[in-house]
Amino acid sequence: MGLLGPNGSGKTTLLRCLLGQVPLERSKVSVLGFDMARQARLARSGLGWMPERGGIIPGMSGVGLVAYLGELSGMPARDAMQRAHEVLHFVGLSDERYRKCDEYSQGMKQRLKLAQALVHDPQWVFLDEPTSGLDPRGRVSILALIRDLAWNKGLGVILSTHLLSDVEAVCQEILVLKEGRLLARETVDAGGREPRQVFEVEGFGEDEAFLAGLKNLGAEVTVDKRLLLVTLDLSRLVTPASGTEEGFPSAAGVEAILRVAAEHGHSLRRVRRRPVTLAEEFYRLVEA
Amino acid sequence: MPVYERGYTHWEPSGLQARPSWWVIARRGIAEPLKRRWLLFLLMLSWFPAIGKGVVIYLKLKAGDVVDLLGGSWTSIDPEGFLAFIEWQRFFVFVFLAIVGSGLIATDRRDNGLSLYFSRPLGLKSYVGGKALIVMFYFCTVTLFPIWALCLFAYLIAPDAVGLELLLVTPLRATLYCVLAGGSMSLVLLAFSSLGKRSIFVMVWWTVMVMGTEVIGNISGGLGKEFLEAANFLGNYHNMGSLIFSAPARIGVSGWVSALIVLAWTAAALFVLRRQIRPVEVVS
Repeated sequence: MGLLGPNGSGKTTLLRCLLGQVPLERSKVSVLGFDMARQARLARSGLGWMPERGGIIPGMSGVGLVAYLGELSGMPARDAMQRAHEVLHFVGLSDERYRKCDEYSQGMKQRLKLAQALVHDPQWVFLDEPTSGLDPRGRVSILALIRDLAWNKGLGVILSTHLLSDVEAVCQEILVLKEGRLLARETVDAGGREPRQVFEVEGFGEDEAFLAGLKNLGAEVTVDKRLLLVTLDLSRLVTPASGTEEGFPSAAGVEAILRVAAEHGHSLRRVRRRPVTLAEEFYRLVEA
Repeated sequence: MPVYERGYTHWEPSGLQARPSWWVIARRGIAEPLKRRWLLFLLMLSWFPAIGKGVVIYLKLKAGDVVDLLGGSWTSIDPEGFLAFIEWQRFFVFVFLAIVGSGLIATDRRDNGLSLYFSRPLGLKSYVGGKALIVMFYFCTVTLFPIWALCLFAYLIAPDAVGLELLLVTPLRATLYCVLAGGSMSLVLLAFSSLGKRSIFVMVWWTVMVMGTEVIGNISGGLGKEFLEAANFLGNYHNMGSLIFSAPARIGVSGWVSALIVLAWTAAALFVLRRQIRPVEVVS
């Protein structure tokens, strides 16, 4: 799950609420079945946290730090040390594990923070801006690790970021926040199920009757170079068969456009739904 | 399967007993400063007065009259003499606490370590308790442990001459004093540490407070305003010790007044720690 939002939208605060670090006066948070106001310590055994800022204890070696935090998570000392070696290997820090973590580069620090979040084998990991300050190669590699955890290893991952591409690379579901409010809960490819979809039509010529026919469907029509962009509200054309889970099939829109073309004896070269990028959707939500 | 052939694997608990988190924090905090050689040297130096006291005890037990000629409470091997030894160690107490304790919370605050600690199944009591134990350990290393060693030494060299007082009661008095004074001082120092983000600043504040109040106390005593001696931070702890060691008051107020002042310091420290040690701000 990705938490998206501009700076100051409350992503980190939400994660800290989930960790039980923020005392709430009017709300109730329950994580892994535990009430975070009273049982936060129990819940934290199953949670891993990778903070954006800081998050290392100077003077300790990488393996020392991870094992120390493992012990603080309730692991026996020997288990914690063994696990520390394993997770440091997983994040690619095997060779640097005995170096002092103050001497690590930014990329290594991010990996170390990921390792300490994983040492006690949590059910969920909360990652706050995990790619912050990384070069492109480091970013790709840490995202691959996170994706592996979420998709192949069965860990729940909540990724807080303002980088849309990070979310697209890892997450299936997105929460969009702005000024502490939840704007939307979407899946990454939500565009394919939204009622309002955009279709690209090629080979429309300059057929005014065809354009008028589309407008009669309630479509917004714009010409973009040799493409005709048709924005259709599918809720006016079809009723979703099984509620919002199924959504609105884009095939219904394609079919409607082809029907109008056939009515006007017009042949089209291609009709397809224009994929809505996460960026477009994000900016639409935030700016709205 | 060797570790280098594995990807991410789930943890399989070995069934060993996990240690309490305060113990984990304390153990690491105690071991970390001992890696510095100069601190080990200082630690050795802090035992020199104890060695001196050991020589005095030896001479006293073997040739008492000679040592009596030297006079002074420091040479006596009664409770008064051991309280004097603790007072004598005040320099090392001050130095060790400043070196070991000043960064304990300040560094965590600076490096966002509190957020890391409190993302674990760890409460405020365990965190503060673990950190306070670190300070207490070093406090006891220069006060309590030498007294235990000296009492045992006295018993070993002259078991007949040393009564129950030196074998049992004096170590118990010293233990009670060190638990109370060491615990309180640890909390006060941690409160100072929680107010800053750099250990050097905390060290400066600690120095100003300990030295400054001692100067104020001494000047007040010199001017005849003995009740103002109660401003002396360390003096109050020693004065409270006079109750425990059944010794005369160390400053111009009674031991009970000093005990109340120490209690007030401790309460204030707990209040500050409760306010300052939070992973994040309060949200309503």
